[in-house]
Amino acid sequence: MRLGAIRAYMLKEFIDLKRSKMIYLVYLLPIMILILFGYGIRLEVTHARTIVIDQDNSKLSIDLAHAFMHSKYFDTKILPITPDEALASMKRAKTDIIIIIPPSFEKNLLKGLKSEIGVFIDASFPLRGRVMQGYVQGVLLNKASEYLPPQKIPLILINQRLLFNQAMRDENAIVPGLIALALLVAPAILAALLIVKEKEYGTIFNFYASPLSKAEFLIAKLTPPFVLHSVNIFIAFFIATYIFDVPFRGSFALFWVASELYVAVAVGIGLLVSIITRTQIAATVLAMLITIIPSFLYSGMLMPISAMEGGSYIEAHLFPVMYYSYILYDTFLIGQGLQSSTIILYLSILALYGTGLILIGSKLLKKELS
Amino acid sequence: MLEVKNLTVRYGKKIAIKNATFNAHNKEIVGLIGADGAGKSSTLHAIAGVQRFEGEVVFNGYAYHSPAEAEPLKSQIALMPQGLGLVLYPDLSVKEHFEFFKRIRGVKDDPAYEERLLKMAGLYKFQDRLAKNLSGGMKQKLSLICTLLHRPKLLILDEPTTGVDPLSRRELWEILDETRHAQDIVILYSTAYMQEAQQMDKILLFDEGEIIAQGKAEELLKSAEPYTYEETSCDECFCFDKRCYSLKPLPVPHAKPTLEALFFINALKKGKKETRFQIKPKKVQTPPIIVEAKGLTKRFGDFVADDHIDLTLHAGEILGLLGANGAGKTTFIKMLLGLYPIDEGELWLLGKKIESYEDRIELKNYIGYMSQNFALYKDMTIKENMEYFGKLHELPSKTIAQKIEELSQGLGFAEYLDEFPTSLPMGINQRFSLATAILHEPVVLFLDEPTSGVDTIARAGFWKLLHELKRKWRISILITTHYMSEAEYCDRVVVLKEGKKIVDDTPQHLHELYPGLSFEEIFINFYKETK
Ligand SMILES: Nc1ncnc2c1ncn2[C@@H]1O[C@H](COP(=O)(O)OP(=O)(O)OP(=O)(O)O)[C@@H](O)[C@H]1O
Ligand SMILES: [Mg+2]
Repeated sequence: MRLGAIRAYMLKEFIDLKRSKMIYLVYLLPIMILILFGYGIRLEVTHARTIVIDQDNSKLSIDLAHAFMHSKYFDTKILPITPDEALASMKRAKTDIIIIIPPSFEKNLLKGLKSEIGVFIDASFPLRGRVMQGYVQGVLLNKASEYLPPQKIPLILINQRLLFNQAMRDENAIVPGLIALALLVAPAILAALLIVKEKEYGTIFNFYASPLSKAEFLIAKLTPPFVLHSVNIFIAFFIATYIFDVPFRGSFALFWVASELYVAVAVGIGLLVSIITRTQIAATVLAMLITIIPSFLYSGMLMPISAMEGGSYIEAHLFPVMYYSYILYDTFLIGQGLQSSTIILYLSILALYGTGLILIGSKLLKKELS
Repeated sequence: MLEVKNLTVRYGKKIAIKNATFNAHNKEIVGLIGADGAGKSSTLHAIAGVQRFEGEVVFNGYAYHSPAEAEPLKSQIALMPQGLGLVLYPDLSVKEHFEFFKRIRGVKDDPAYEERLLKMAGLYKFQDRLAKNLSGGMKQKLSLICTLLHRPKLLILDEPTTGVDPLSRRELWEILDETRHAQDIVILYSTAYMQEAQQMDKILLFDEGEIIAQGKAEELLKSAEPYTYEETSCDECFCFDKRCYSLKPLPVPHAKPTLEALFFINALKKGKKETRFQIKPKKVQTPPIIVEAKGLTKRFGDFVADDHIDLTLHAGEILGLLGANGAGKTTFIKMLLGLYPIDEGELWLLGKKIESYEDRIELKNYIGYMSQNFALYKDMTIKENMEYFGKLHELPSKTIAQKIEELSQGLGFAEYLDEFPTSLPMGINQRFSLATAILHEPVVLFLDEPTSGVDTIARAGFWKLLHELKRKWRISILITTHYMSEAEYCDRVVVLKEGKKIVDDTPQHLHELYPGLSFEEIFINFYKETK
């Protein structure tokens, strides 16, 4: 290993990144992902499994209950069961929304008395929960206003309760997932570009024709994306905790180590991409494709992994995203840390994943024209 | 000593070079010549250990059969691949390139040697300039001196002098010559300049994936003597550079052949004919003066790239713009085209004074341009490239289709229409770049080194084509070249030196002034005389 040669190659990469202004991209891309998506993601929820318990059986209550039928947003059943039975069903994750219309609901309203509709929403997945909450409220008030004069509307009280997760905010759920996305996409693209750029321009000949070994070349090529993106770990942390006010309950050291391993995984993905592509455009597109989609699907941002079944459950375990986001959610929101054997297992998986990818990449990398 | 035994390189089914066998002794310079795509680069890549091959290469007793086996030799090998500045990093300065190459090869600092290399490449003054801001030839020279930094024992140069001016070509030769006297080295050198090849210790002639002849220049020249005649008009023959080549006897005296003869004779033996270009005549009305530049000046910071240049291009004239690397030729053409803003001076195009961007838009469809590195899109086929450029000029699709058909037939590249530019020989790319530049039937053409890196036969054809265009369309052409023999095909030449015009004359008149000298010698004289 000739350190002088590696250092010279690396220095060249840094100068090049700076002069070609690519360095801005290194920091802008993750920041933009976090900020834009952090503020921007709002979901549409469809087919929420809804139970309406109508204890009133008046014209108004029946109409209200029917308002939840025939909509793509709700799959509604009107059931003559007790609230406890319904809640049990929600605990088993069979029901998303429970709406309870109390006895004498219509009568009370007509008398001008306040009357309360109970709404329970499963917020194990908070973003979904919030969206459903909005829908339910909208449907109820909308329907009621067809029957009641406007001054009577305030008499309806909607007592909503988000179950299981009452303190959860959108940001808390989304932002760690976005960190998993940003720290995968951006280093992968950069690592791929640094190599493919040389293939595209022809400067790769300098490596082919020189005594530089494959290991030296890879160290020189992969260190800059790794180091530069390590800074993004801290930037991401500050954006999450300061801008989005996400709590941080776990160990920073754990967060940091896991993130470094994860960035190494991303760099390894970039390396593989650079081996099968020839142009910068192709490399960028491919790197984005194989990082963005799994990140969205398996970071737990859109759906908890535990709720996945069959194929997607297995897929989630194939991609590195899930392991990292598990650790992220833990360090940000829960804080079990190394107490949990799952976390230790996942950390080791990330480490293996990273070394594995880079080893495979260096085997596949050819020091000759292809 | 280098021994190459039965070297074969395949790309899938295609065989790039078959059973190449030759030796090169210590301190020898071996020249590789041959048409585009004949297999020179593949041979050089294999020997340099960057390309898989079959057969055996032995260098100083060490045998290798694959890039992996060549690995231990890489500290002794240097390869300069073909292509303008391919191995340079656009955003790194000249000095930074030096540092980079020294470090990755673990070379010790040797300021005196480094200074010599920089001076010979004419880059000593420009050490802080970024590679992307160097002229084409300057890039080429920088790549070259970077390969010399570690004093290789096996130096492999793939067309190192493409786009390099005649003065620097001589200097490069001197450097190589000196290097081989001072140290043990084997030099493999492919070139499209036959004057260079003539000086080499041994020449390998490549054709369609084989070495068809090898030996000393005199031996090869002797073999060409019976077929070389003085210029005349003839059928079934090729004529270029004041000579004609024919297998059948011609009723004119024999002429002394140059190595270029080998190409033509080989082509004749294979039954190839000179491409006859069919250009439909066209009546055009143009003003008598097409380009009138008065005191055109371009500065980059403190550096003056073009210094008050006056130039006139008349209708139906072919004007050669000559000058050393970095003299300001490309910059001048870019000012004419509006690709660089003009810092000082006045410009009239087709009789119209250029004062604003709108003036240029109006003239856009009258002008054709071919840039120094054939600006083609590599991801599009030849046909798609042409369609794209046609659309840029707002030609209707029907006209474009018709023109592509007509030009590809006329210029002889119809069978390549669906291929990608990267997979084709330079000569074909060059013709189709020209076709693209004349697609919209311009009245004036600006051609920046269209013949650099193009083989002799293709160049001969190219000049025929230009004269045909001039005759049929009365087109005016401003062309740059580093082949001084091509200056003879121009009606007039303008020579630039360090941004200033030093000559504006006809080749005939220059020959009268310097009787008995070749144009290259005349050019070099002028350059040395004017300070
Ligand atoms: N953008 C730029 N910034 C700084 N210097 C430049 C820039 N573009 C060109 N130059 C310098 O201007 C000079 C003239 O360059 P130009 O490309 O016109 O040369 P040329 O005559 O075409 O040479 P060649 O024969 O090598 O193609 C060179 O010294 C070049 O380095
Ligand atoms: Mg130029």
